[in-house]
Formats: sequence, C-alpha cells, structure tokens
Amino acid sequence: MAGDDMVRVAVDQELCIGGGICEMLEPEVFELDNDIVISSVTGDGLLPRARADVVVDRCPSRAIAIVEEEL
Amino acid sequence: MASAATVETPNVTDPSLYLQGIPHDRFARIRATPSLAWHPYENGGFWAVTRHAEVRHVSRNPELFSSAIGHTNLWDLEADALEARRSLIDTDAPDHTRLRRLVAGAFTPKNIRRWEETVRAITGELLDEFVAQGGGDWVDMVAAPLPIQVILTMLGVPTDDADYLVELSNYLVEGTGDAQSIPPDAFGNTTELRLLPFNSPASHALFEYGEGMRQQRQDDLRDDLVSHLVRAESDVERMSRNEYRNMFHLLVFAGNETTRTAISHGALALAANPDEWQRVLDDPSMIESASEEILRWSTPILHMRRTATADTELAGTEIAEGDKVVMWYASANRDEAVFEDPDKFDVGRFDVGRANSDHFAFGGGGPHLCLGAFLARLEVNVLLEEMAKRSICLEQTSEPVRARSNFVHGVLSVGMRPAGGSN
Repeated sequence: MAGDDMVRVAVDQELCIGGGICEMLEPEVFELDNDIVISSVTGDGLLPRARADVVVDRCPSRAIAIVEEEL
Repeated sequence: MASAATVETPNVTDPSLYLQGIPHDRFARIRATPSLAWHPYENGGFWAVTRHAEVRHVSRNPELFSSAIGHTNLWDLEADALEARRSLIDTDAPDHTRLRRLVAGAFTPKNIRRWEETVRAITGELLDEFVAQGGGDWVDMVAAPLPIQVILTMLGVPTDDADYLVELSNYLVEGTGDAQSIPPDAFGNTTELRLLPFNSPASHALFEYGEGMRQQRQDDLRDDLVSHLVRAESDVERMSRNEYRNMFHLLVFAGNETTRTAISHGALALAANPDEWQRVLDDPSMIESASEEILRWSTPILHMRRTATADTELAGTEIAEGDKVVMWYASANRDEAVFEDPDKFDVGRFDVGRANSDHFAFGGGGPHLCLGAFLARLEVNVLLEEMAKRSICLEQTSEPVRARSNFVHGVLSVGMRPAGGSN
C-alpha cells in the first residue's frame, strides 16, 4: 500500500531549534539531546513513508528530510 | 500595493470589536476572498492572511517573511525601540536559533513530563477550593493561578509573588489594546513607553523583577530556569543582559497569560456544550483530543505579523518587499477547508497521538512555534483529568469580561459554578 514503504530520515542539526515535535510524534526515532537540545535520529531512522512525510511536514524549522528510499 | 483589493476588507483590528469576542463572521468574509485581502491600518496597511494553508506558508518561510524587521505586532517600531524590546519573538535565525536553544531544553516533551505531578497538585488544590466555595470567578480561582504557579515554579520565582505578576500581566494585556489604565510613571517607571514591551510601564516593573531575580541567582545558582539563564548570560556570546531581561519578561508573560486564556475559553466552551463534556466524562481517553479542541477553540494569540524580505507572491497576490503580512491564527483555526464544521466545538475532532492536531494555537507551524506548547498541553490535559476525576460539570453564572485587544484573546473574568460533583 502507498505510504507503507520504509524510508530513512535525517536531521539537519544546523536548522534544528529543539522544538520537540519530532520527539512527540516519533519517540522511537528522534531524541532531543538534553544539553544542546538538538534532535538526532536514534537507531536506523527508518519510518513508513506516510509517517515520515508527517514528521518532515511538521518540523517547525524544516530540519528533517527523507534521505534514502528503501525497497 | 492595494491593487488586489476591490472589495472593502471588513475591519478586524479595532480592539473594541473583541469585547464581544473574535469577529468570526468578518474573518469568514475575508477567507472567502480568493486573493489576500489588503487591510488598512494607521497610515498604511497589511496583507490579511486568514486561510490555514497560507498562514502555514508564511509561518514556515521565515527567510521570506521576517520576524526581525519592523515589529511582530501591527504597528512598526522605531529602530531603537525594536532593539530595546527585542525578544525571542522578534528575531530570525541565527539569533532566534541561539536564543531558542538556550531555553528549549526546559520545554521538550520529555522534560515537561517531569512537571506532571507538580501541575496535578496545583490543579487539584485549585479545583477543590473552587468546589468548596461553590464556584466564583473562574479566571481568578483556576485559569490565572494554575499557569502562573507552574511557570514560576519552573523559573524558581517565589509563588507568593504570583498575584503581583498576574497583575503586571493584566496591564501588559491592556497595553496590546488602546486603553492603558495606569499612568506612564506607574511602578516608578522613567523609561519612555515606546521602549517598553506593549508600551506598558508594567514592562518596566517586570524588567525590575527579573533583574532582582538575576542578582539573587548570580550568587546562589540553583537547579531552576532563572539560574540556567543567569549561567547563559554570564557569557555575552550566548546571551546579552538585554536578551536576559526580555527573555524573563517573555517567560513570565507568555507562560501565564496564554494558558490562562485557553483555560478560560475552555471553561466557556465546556459550559456551553455540556454534551461534549459528557462525552469526555463517559470516555476519558478523549481528554487529549478535547484539550486540542480547547486550544483550537481558544486561539490565545490572535495573530502575529511578519514583514516581507523580498517581492513574492501568495494566493495570486503580489507582495512587495517591506509589506506587512499578518497571520490571523484566529481565522485559520476556523478555516472550513481544514476543519469540518469549524464553528462547532467537537471534543472528538482530533485524533491525538497521531498527527492531525494541526491547529494554530501555537503558531502557524514555523520556527516560532510556541516554546511552551507542551507545557500548555500538559496543563490543559491535567485540568480536564482532575475535573473528570471530580465529576465537575461547569455552569456559567455570568457573562465573560473580555480583553480589549486584537492580539490577545483574553478573558478578564467569568463566573462559573460546579454542577454535578457528587459521585
């Protein structure tokens, strides 16, 4: 089904403002560092495309992107 | 500039309009205009952005729509006033990113969850008193004390001063309108009002209070937010003295006034829609969704303004560099293109945990996302949980007194009485 294929996401740490939306939406994939308050991807950063699209779309500083398509 | 406007735009800036509530009918007429509407204001005007999609576009493209030029309120400030008053709100990257990161850690979802028991204890005490008294002024008894006590606890400010800081906040709200009730020299102020946030002498008082806190913590650093700011301020590369005072001012004001507004309108909506509250009582798993609906419904901040950094186009409208562009969250939150039956208060509207809580109570989706968004959510959620636990149904006993402001959707007072309440 469309949106079920897995994609890899990444955070541009220069752009991140530590807004926390990604950690709220996908706590298994994104984690905010407590000291520098910048988001990073934990683990393999894989998400179903539909959910990746949402988190990309909701990041307030447009710091998240889909970087790699998976089969 | 005004070429697109052939039909007269209904006035949505007169502060006295808001004494009767948000002029939703006027916003609906503006939303129905395919282009952007040019709204006259003072000697010029602004583009009124009223639809959800276009508010989002402006909010998420800060390189085109700046927060640092002119002002984020409708009127322009002179350069020295803008510098003196500049806070997190009135900056673009990289200053915005630098300042935001200094405080963002305290407000992440994970760190906000650590305050849940504090919020619950404060809320429970206020509700028990409200019930014991048989009701009263909901703003005085619940909506104002809850968020101010929480933000002061986080800051490390004595909660004994809550009433004073709420009083200052009320004068600041007045300052967003056109009817300041205190003289320019109130609180011993000698600064020109144009150099003070909201042109209010209450800002002088809040600056003084913040400076007092800074001096106290300088010699006695603790594990609180003021100490964190004082540590940052000791390195001017990270934060200047002026940035400290504006940050303190912002945290106290925005940390109490906006959530107070949400809780006030939440009570009004629950009292006016008892069937919706009954749905929540019957199924407490709806509380998070109900909180999101209260946030959409209340829209505590009605608009923010941006200034175009280049010629651009939006909704088929040519925007010139330097034009004011105003995002009306109050309108976008009722946009029929996004929200089905938008004028209905519907506690089941949002599918929480997933992604469709796409209201603009916390801004339009861009980098100026409300710093306290997760704190506000926690406070509203816990309030509803504690009300449900006590089976409190609200009955409105007097008309709300609303703020005379086109910027803050404030409620100054409204009578409420607990009905139900027994097991």
